[in-house]
Amino acid sequence: MRHLIIGASAAGLTAAKTIRSIDRDCEITVVSKDDKVHSRCMLHKYLSGERTAEGISFVPEDFFQENRIEWISGAEVQTVNAVGKTAALADGRTLSFDRLLIATGAQYVVPPVPGLRGAANLYGFRDLSDAEAIDRASQPGSRVVIIGSGLVGMDAAYALLDRGILPVVVEMAERILPLQLDDNAASAYQERFERAGCSFRLNAKAASAEVDENANITAIVLDDGERLPCDYVIIAAGVKPAVGFLDGTPVKPDLLIRVDDHLRTPVEDIYAAGDAAGLSGIWPNAMKQGITAARNMCGEDECYTDLYAMKNTINFFGLTALCIGNINVPGPNADVYIEEDHLNYRKAVVEDGVLKSILLQGDISGGGIYQYLIKNRIRLPYTGSELFRLSFAEFYGFDETSGKYVWQV
Amino acid sequence: MKKIMIDADKCDGCLNCTLACMNAHRADGGDICSLRLTDLQNESRNVIHILPDGSYRPVFCRHCAEPECVNSCMSGALHKNPETGIVEYDEKKCAACYMCVMNCPFGVLKPDDQSRTKVIKCDFCKELGGEPSCVKACPKQAIWVEEVQA
Amino acid sequence: MNNCFSCTTCKSADKPLEGYIAGLSMETSHHRVEGQSVKCGFGLQGVCCRLCSNGPCRITPKAPKGICGATADVIVTRNFLRAVAAGSGCYIHVVENTAKNLKNTARAKGEIKGVNALDHLCELFGIIGGDVHERAEAVAQAVLDDLYRPDDEKMRLLEKLSYAPRFQKWKTLGILPGGAKSEVFAGVVKCSTNLNSDPVDMLMHCLKLGISTGVYGLMLTNLLNDVMLGEPEIMEAPVGLGVIDPDYINIMITGHQHSMFVSLQERLRDEDVQALAKKAGAKGFKLVGCTCVGQDLQLRGVHYADIFSGHAGNNYTSEAVLATGAIDAVLSEFNCTLPGIEPICDELQIKQICLDDVAKKANAELKPFVYEDRENICNEIIEEIVKSYTARRGKVELNLMEEHGNRHTVTGVSEGSLKKFLGGSWKPLIDLIVSGDIKGIAGVVGCSNLTAGGHDVLTVELTKELIAKDILVLSAGCSSGGLENCGLMTPGAAKLAGPKLRAVCEKLGIPPVLNFGPCLAIGRLEMVATELAEAIGVDIPQLPLVLSAAQWLEEQALADGAFGLALGLPLHLGLPPFITGSELVTKVLTEDMKELTGGQVIINSDAKASAGILDGIIEQKRAELKI
Repeated sequence: MRHLIIGASAAGLTAAKTIRSIDRDCEITVVSKDDKVHSRCMLHKYLSGERTAEGISFVPEDFFQENRIEWISGAEVQTVNAVGKTAALADGRTLSFDRLLIATGAQYVVPPVPGLRGAANLYGFRDLSDAEAIDRASQPGSRVVIIGSGLVGMDAAYALLDRGILPVVVEMAERILPLQLDDNAASAYQERFERAGCSFRLNAKAASAEVDENANITAIVLDDGERLPCDYVIIAAGVKPAVGFLDGTPVKPDLLIRVDDHLRTPVEDIYAAGDAAGLSGIWPNAMKQGITAARNMCGEDECYTDLYAMKNTINFFGLTALCIGNINVPGPNADVYIEEDHLNYRKAVVEDGVLKSILLQGDISGGGIYQYLIKNRIRLPYTGSELFRLSFAEFYGFDETSGKYVWQV
Repeated sequence: MKKIMIDADKCDGCLNCTLACMNAHRADGGDICSLRLTDLQNESRNVIHILPDGSYRPVFCRHCAEPECVNSCMSGALHKNPETGIVEYDEKKCAACYMCVMNCPFGVLKPDDQSRTKVIKCDFCKELGGEPSCVKACPKQAIWVEEVQA
Repeated sequence: MNNCFSCTTCKSADKPLEGYIAGLSMETSHHRVEGQSVKCGFGLQGVCCRLCSNGPCRITPKAPKGICGATADVIVTRNFLRAVAAGSGCYIHVVENTAKNLKNTARAKGEIKGVNALDHLCELFGIIGGDVHERAEAVAQAVLDDLYRPDDEKMRLLEKLSYAPRFQKWKTLGILPGGAKSEVFAGVVKCSTNLNSDPVDMLMHCLKLGISTGVYGLMLTNLLNDVMLGEPEIMEAPVGLGVIDPDYINIMITGHQHSMFVSLQERLRDEDVQALAKKAGAKGFKLVGCTCVGQDLQLRGVHYADIFSGHAGNNYTSEAVLATGAIDAVLSEFNCTLPGIEPICDELQIKQICLDDVAKKANAELKPFVYEDRENICNEIIEEIVKSYTARRGKVELNLMEEHGNRHTVTGVSEGSLKKFLGGSWKPLIDLIVSGDIKGIAGVVGCSNLTAGGHDVLTVELTKELIAKDILVLSAGCSSGGLENCGLMTPGAAKLAGPKLRAVCEKLGIPPVLNFGPCLAIGRLEMVATELAEAIGVDIPQLPLVLSAAQWLEEQALADGAFGLALGLPLHLGLPPFITGSELVTKVLTEDMKELTGGQVIINSDAKASAGILDGIIEQKRAELKI
């Protein structure tokens, strides 16, 4: 059995490892554009200089040897022959497979702002190669505009601040981290970033980019006419699945790959996981999808059920936050509970006695139970701000044979 | 694998397990009499909760068979040791993203209180050898180690 | 994020106060309840022994005895006796100082405000002849002499102050105390390492300490204070944080020894001192009552109306009183002065002065009250307070709570003023009890704590349940502080009473909960009980009368409780006094005591259930009296 995996990030490598744990004898090949394994969520640690490129790997050094995986790094897959079960690489090589996993992740999107596309000093912040390019472009005192204040944009800003570069962040929404936080929680981070020297333009849109004769952006002009001179621009305004190489193949009959609950694409023996599968865009889910896809590729029968992706954690300046669900749009019958002190801000949305979303900023200890409560639509034992004191104790069950905890609901 | 088994009914809330855990993980070493009880660095990996009826619920890391924390770790800091079954944590690798805190369905994991740069996680006291410190300290035998099917 | 310290404050029966404390930026005891919510079961049950270096030993199924061989019964009783002895020591310290102050006042020919009270004591003690000061000195000396007797010499005033059937009972049981201080000493010795291991002997010693505490620490402290400070008179008074007027230099007083404040109270009224306040920009000086000494000032408020602004709150209200920002100094002389007020005083630049080193606060200046030196001490204190006022006002933000509390709390109730109110005889009250208009009497007394449902929660809920059952409630201690701030001591509270009690209250214009003031006045309640028993011609255990220290807090409360048991009264406690680890002790206190003294301990933390039990006991006693 030959397993081919395209992509060496969360889904791809988790799948590779899982396959090896199930099948000791099969062949496993991983092909990736990346020539170094790295955690995309840790790029800021590289850019800030806190860690080396090796330091942001999320697998042990001997991962490929230990798991007997062939890794073809720095290689791009140009197309996949679904009938012949082969993948063609840009360097002319052809790889055959019995099972294929597409785990190519996502790529950043450049919004249609005049001057942005094709600029030489426009960088995304998705891959190590992006971070390396920004690193090369950065000098003390560099003027930087970051478009987008989601987690990617703020990670980039955080890293640059560490290097003494004071970026300007442009955000269309009225607050930073608009998907994860509400105004109150966002302002706590904004204050901290501002204190560190970062500045923000909220409710602002990049209208155009001024470009010099070398195709370098020299300024971003906002819709209100403000001109932000810059040495380079980081674009963090969203991503899309990196599956362009499948255009015209039956794997991807339209714009996206669509997988079933076994993470199978429309083509037999071809699976997809992680951002490429378009199910959800966060690391834990990508890993779990990698596991499920791998098990199914090995002939097991497992459904992927954890579709809940609206969740994230944030840690800037030692202020931590945990946000699950959409905290900003409570339904018409929802009750919203808020409590606040000098170290914490907490908000919960409850509907019909069931927790719909929660935001914890400050102390997030033990906050994992809220994800379980939300995902499983468990009726709360009580509501009101006391729900912020809930712990597993209220749902405590213990299996005396296995020693596992069991949720009693 | 070895697991810390729990009989919540036996727990008397004395917090000896909590103290023992703090002592086992203090940086400076020493016996319980020299443990600085108010030093934020000395955090316990286990928590004893009390319910309104006065009964106690010990919440200890289960070193799960399918650990959600490991499956959400984007730095490689958390890892399930296939031989011992222990979910190990490498503080040096950790990026303090706290995805693991969000994903532990039993709310066992927490950021460290002092710096928010690492996770407070049970290590089964494997460096100290023998039984976990909490188990040794329990006067009620409410927690004990047992070999169970992984 | 906002400025609140944290969102996890405990509940309070006083909802406005609960909200006020939740909004504070400083940490209070109410914030710390959550962090201390997991209690050690060994400690709770009283089975942790640290009496020797072999320990701590704890009792478990596999280790049912300490290393020395002490069983749970022995460990629990030793711990319990230790607590009762310490608690007794506290109250004996208070009566000792009070007697000394009376003696010194008499010798210095100082003002004796309560001549009637003095006459009453002289009559009881058999002191004949001499002028007011000579008689006052003789009274004080007689008390001191008893306190200082060795433990093998019985106290002489005890029989004169006790109800005869009770005294006989105590004699039969062999629990008549020797010198009160020596009995504390003996108690402490008994429960030291490898001495007494007889739980029953130690429990009987607790009763002995209860008697000396009750008769001397409680009853006599009140009576001696009545001589010095003037007797309570029934009146209406303002209570709550609303009594604090920021236009004055405000001195919060905490503790239990009112007689230590007399000189200062008088000095503050002097014109030259008033002028000091005006010069500093204030309208004058006000003493703001907090904890029991505040209750005592309130009780005798008629004598100090001009410089006492009112009682602001009980022990666990003290942080809120300070947080108003309008307190310029804290004068303390005894307990219920929480360690937790120290950082608040620091933050708000509030001067702390202690008058008694037994309650020396870490960041307070100690100015021990020495009678002979009282004028200098008062002047120094006043100077410090003015300095504090000048330094802090304008700089420290005010966070007043003007609407808190109420203006119509009925106060000044004592065994004397109540009898006077009834027309000089207990008969009207007895008639109401016989007719069933008042089903019975419950003394809801003692402290406040934060763990029996929250601040004053059980006290207030239980009281509401009792009055709804037509049971008249008398209160003394920090329980009063909570009940009055929650409005239960205003005449308007009659509407919360059952129909019969309500009618009685409305007819007489009194609240269904009568305010006897400080915890010391638990002694007054017990005098009421004694006088009622005497008037009816029965022994105290036969009365339809129950006690509840629903939110007992401290060791003193346990010594008080021991007196309640010695009197033969049913005593309800909201939380167990660290005894449940011993089946024997639990059984003796909750069951066997009925055979010994007639008393019994009832432990229940649920207001409704507790009220039901107490009501049942009252019904049973009524039936036994055939009323």
